[in-house]
Amino acid sequence: MPSASAPPVSTAARAVDARKTYGAGEAAVHALAGVTVSFPEREFTAIMGPSGSGKSTLMQCVAGLDRLTSGSAYIGDTDISQLNKTQLTLLRRDRLGFIFQQYNLIPSLTARENILLPMTLAGTRPDPEWFDTIVRTVGMGDRLGNLPSELSGGQQQRVAVARALVPRPDIVFADEPTGALDSRTGIEILSFMRRAVDETGQTIVMVTHDPHAASYANTVLFLEDGQIVDSMEAPTADRVLDRMKRFEG
Amino acid sequence: MLRLVLSSVRHNAGRYLATLVAIVTGVGFYTAVGFISDRVIDSLEGNVDAQYGNVDVAVIPEDPTTAEGAAHDPAELRISQDSVDRLLALPGIEGGAGILTGSVAFLGDDGRAFATGATGRLWVTDPDLDPLQVDSGEAPTRSGQIAVDRGLADDEGLEVGDDVTLLTLAGKEPATIVGITSFGDSDALDDGGTVSISEADAFDWLNSGQHEYETYYLRGSGDQQDLVDEADAVVPSGFRAQTGDDFRDDQRETAGTFGNTLKKGLQAFAILALLVGGFVIYNTFSVIVAQRLRELAVLAAIGATPRQLKRSLRLEGLAIGVVGSVLGVVAGFVLTLLLDLVLRVTGNSLPGSGTTIGVANVVGGLVLGTVITVLSVMIPARRAARTEPIEAMRDAAVESNRLGRTRGLICLALVVLGLAATLVGTGIATIGLGLLAFMAGVFVGAPYIAKGGARLSRPLLERVGMEGRLAVDNSIRNPKRTATTANALLIGVFLVTLVAVAGNSMKDFAVGEVNKLQSADYLVTSTGGTIDPTFVSKLEQVPDVSRVAPFRREPVTIDGEATVVSSGDLGDLTAVANVRASAGSLDDLGPGKIAVLDTRPEAQGSAVELSTGSVQDQHVDVGSTVALEDNRGHQQDFTVVALIEPSLDSVQVGSLLDPDTFDSLFGQVAPTVAFLDVDSGAQSETKDAINDLADLRPDITVQEGNAIGQLIGTIFDFLIKAVTGLLLMSVVIALIGIINTMSLSILERRRELGLLRIIGMTDNRVRRMVTLESALIAFLGTLSGLISGLVVALALVLSINRLSEATISPSVPYLELVGILVLGVALGVLAALVPARRSTRLPVLDAIAAG
Ligand SMILES: Nc1ncnc2c1ncn2[C@@H]1O[C@H](COP(=O)(O)OP(=O)(O)OP(=O)(O)O)[C@@H](O)[C@H]1O
Ligand SMILES: [Mg+2]
Repeated sequence: MPSASAPPVSTAARAVDARKTYGAGEAAVHALAGVTVSFPEREFTAIMGPSGSGKSTLMQCVAGLDRLTSGSAYIGDTDISQLNKTQLTLLRRDRLGFIFQQYNLIPSLTARENILLPMTLAGTRPDPEWFDTIVRTVGMGDRLGNLPSELSGGQQQRVAVARALVPRPDIVFADEPTGALDSRTGIEILSFMRRAVDETGQTIVMVTHDPHAASYANTVLFLEDGQIVDSMEAPTADRVLDRMKRFEG
Repeated sequence: MLRLVLSSVRHNAGRYLATLVAIVTGVGFYTAVGFISDRVIDSLEGNVDAQYGNVDVAVIPEDPTTAEGAAHDPAELRISQDSVDRLLALPGIEGGAGILTGSVAFLGDDGRAFATGATGRLWVTDPDLDPLQVDSGEAPTRSGQIAVDRGLADDEGLEVGDDVTLLTLAGKEPATIVGITSFGDSDALDDGGTVSISEADAFDWLNSGQHEYETYYLRGSGDQQDLVDEADAVVPSGFRAQTGDDFRDDQRETAGTFGNTLKKGLQAFAILALLVGGFVIYNTFSVIVAQRLRELAVLAAIGATPRQLKRSLRLEGLAIGVVGSVLGVVAGFVLTLLLDLVLRVTGNSLPGSGTTIGVANVVGGLVLGTVITVLSVMIPARRAARTEPIEAMRDAAVESNRLGRTRGLICLALVVLGLAATLVGTGIATIGLGLLAFMAGVFVGAPYIAKGGARLSRPLLERVGMEGRLAVDNSIRNPKRTATTANALLIGVFLVTLVAVAGNSMKDFAVGEVNKLQSADYLVTSTGGTIDPTFVSKLEQVPDVSRVAPFRREPVTIDGEATVVSSGDLGDLTAVANVRASAGSLDDLGPGKIAVLDTRPEAQGSAVELSTGSVQDQHVDVGSTVALEDNRGHQQDFTVVALIEPSLDSVQVGSLLDPDTFDSLFGQVAPTVAFLDVDSGAQSETKDAINDLADLRPDITVQEGNAIGQLIGTIFDFLIKAVTGLLLMSVVIALIGIINTMSLSILERRRELGLLRIIGMTDNRVRRMVTLESALIAFLGTLSGLISGLVVALALVLSINRLSEATISPSVPYLELVGILVLGVALGVLAALVPARRSTRLPVLDAIAAG
């Protein structure tokens, strides 16, 4: 798998002078106003900032879901602005994992099939041991045969996390993965993501509003008006909360 | 409430598009058919007035099958000039017009005949009874003058003043065109063109010099009935007098019946198309209700009653129905104009002039379109009314993929009872109801077919990859919707299959029955002329013609029934044609002896019913005496010495007399008919050579011996093709239904598709998934239509066999059925083109964006 066999590069993904502008002229919105950032390998990075600061935009542009207006974004050494649509799709399939706030699963597929979906699409087989490990860790062992409609919101999100991790992607992008969950379930999901980083060397980039969620990360980046204004190593919920309060004023 | 409805319609305009298209197509087809048939009916009925407007007394053949225009019927009786003179001498009669027609053609400078289908007509001199108008030039009044109709003049480049050579029964006749005629709104009175011939030539050219008429029309003063009563006394045998009013009514009815049958038949197809549209409408609204569940639930939560919710949906249906129907009527009118224009450009034209917007058609189209739409919305509206406020809180529309047990039971009961009723029922009603029940069962059970069929196809489609698997899953997710979509296609395919299988079976049966009857290879008939020895020897010189059996034939009545009596060389006739005695012996013929067609019930094969049309009431047997009366009223009794076995050939012969007796009755007339025997394995050159000989003689027509068999086959083939063509209309609407369902479900599954694309399904594969699902639905619809069509056709054939003691063996056109199946799947793929493109058009991020 890519990340295990790739030579040790320090960054899993990065953006250089990334700009994203919506609209033009008077009405132009600079969602990203020149962001340069790297996401180190085997680390859990959180992105925080007020609503509308450009967090989702940054993540989406780095993950190849959207294109930058100017600047460049890299996954490993691949300049994704050079890729066409299909190449981007294949890059996502083979090298990236995604977790969203909602609507994460295909309703007609069972939990197991949902988890294996990216590999099925790629036509690759999962490492059974690795699959078992992941499924056991997310605690879905006994519900694998169920359809999403038969699972609770938290269980569905665990399936989504497992789906993002089983193919051992270079990097997992998560946009407010706990946003729709109660705090207890949220904590379960977050601790599982943390363990994936610690125990398997997974790289994760997570956008969140929740200071407590951010405290699970190695580094927190603070975004305001489309620019990175601060960062914090080894964050705690309290310190993040304090930092966030300063945006209010 | 109305505001809500209107804003909702506007908001959902895109989704209603398919509904609208379905209604507009159906209603448009319906009204266009109405407009066109009304125009045809009007013009046909108008022609009756143009042709017979001033007739007070019509002297017409008693046998209704020999009306005017059936001039080629060999059994036709004529009205002699004597009778006519007596008719004209009646008090109160002021004028008359005799009708005499015959085949004519023109001989071109290159020696080739042209306008070979034209009809020569005796020019009617009585201005009040003349059906034709002279557009330019003048009427043909003197010998050597003719007038041609406008169409013929245009087509063949004929002009007033042209000298032409006319091919007539009397041979080549030089003539000068002195006038161009037209008939009512149309060019000609006759299909192949009308050539009017002056009184001076007509009898020679059309009727071997005999002053006789096919029918005779009189005008006079006073009460029509009184005139008829007077005329009755002098009307010749085989004819009857009718008042002008009755006659016109009959003619109008004949014309109108044809038009009305045509109209009803075509409109039935239009209604069918609309019913198929009903499925599309039902589906659209079901999906819309499902998608708007949240909105409806919010309305319910803030106090809308179930009644109001239901009403809002019904009003939406009504609005769409009215708009669609109005557009449909407009489309129908435009379609009619377009058709008229296209026909005009291609040199044809619809009969009649100008399309009138018939109120009945417009109202019919509006009502039909609206009612079907409102009815189709009923069930979705009931679902909307059941919306619980709690559904506003739920994540997504709960899809019901469970099928109730009652549905299964009802389906099973309907199918079993329906088939049972069809197979053992003794009346048409039972069988019809049985078939209806069976089809209802198929419709009720369609969701099971959708579910089961999709599951069965899963292993195959899974091989394509994840997209195949998901295509199957999606179609199972809401089997009712899949089933409704497929049902729309099912109806069309069911009917096409039914018509193909039942039609082919019956065709094979009918043609087989006819072909069982032996017959001569060719029948050569001269209408008005003769088959003289020169022509016989020309025929004999054609390579591969082995024997020619000419015989004489005259129209007579036997015991009051119009028929023909013939005479010829018995040895030739029995050798070349299938003429043999079923009782008695033909060798016993002699003075005062006759052989007549066997009309005993046991001799009645289907072939005779087909070809003679009339079956005599009283049955003649060997030894009975029959009274024979000829054209001129001579009557003589004969003893029957033989009965002739009914066959294709003996029907042509009718009754047989020995040559001397024939001479004494009719004089030494030449043969007018001949049977031809050709060597087996004769090539088409033989046929061409015979036809070439006939072409130069307008009086002569050549028929192949088993022409009836071929004709029946051709008619069945035409009917099957025509019906199939008309059914295509409903297939087109079913296609719209598939496009609609797929588009709507793509909207519904927007996020899901977005997610698939994000986690690595390429756009090509997403599109393939949509295409596969569409093809699957189409396949299921086609296959169930095919199977139910087969079942019903077979049941129908069995029932017909049981009830009529016929032995129709079902003939299944396998190749066509496979073709239909392939076509069905192809339609599915075609229907997916737009939805598939749409499925990947949205940027992935918008696709997963909430809201
Ligand atoms: N498609 C779009 N068109 C126009 N403007 C957009 C579009 N998408 C985002 N924006 C704008 O870009 C800016 C950044 O949006 P983004 O979604 O990245 O914010 P965010 O930080 O993720 O906010 P939130 O915390 O509310 O999710 C916002 O001002 C937003 O209005
Ligand atoms: Mg965001």
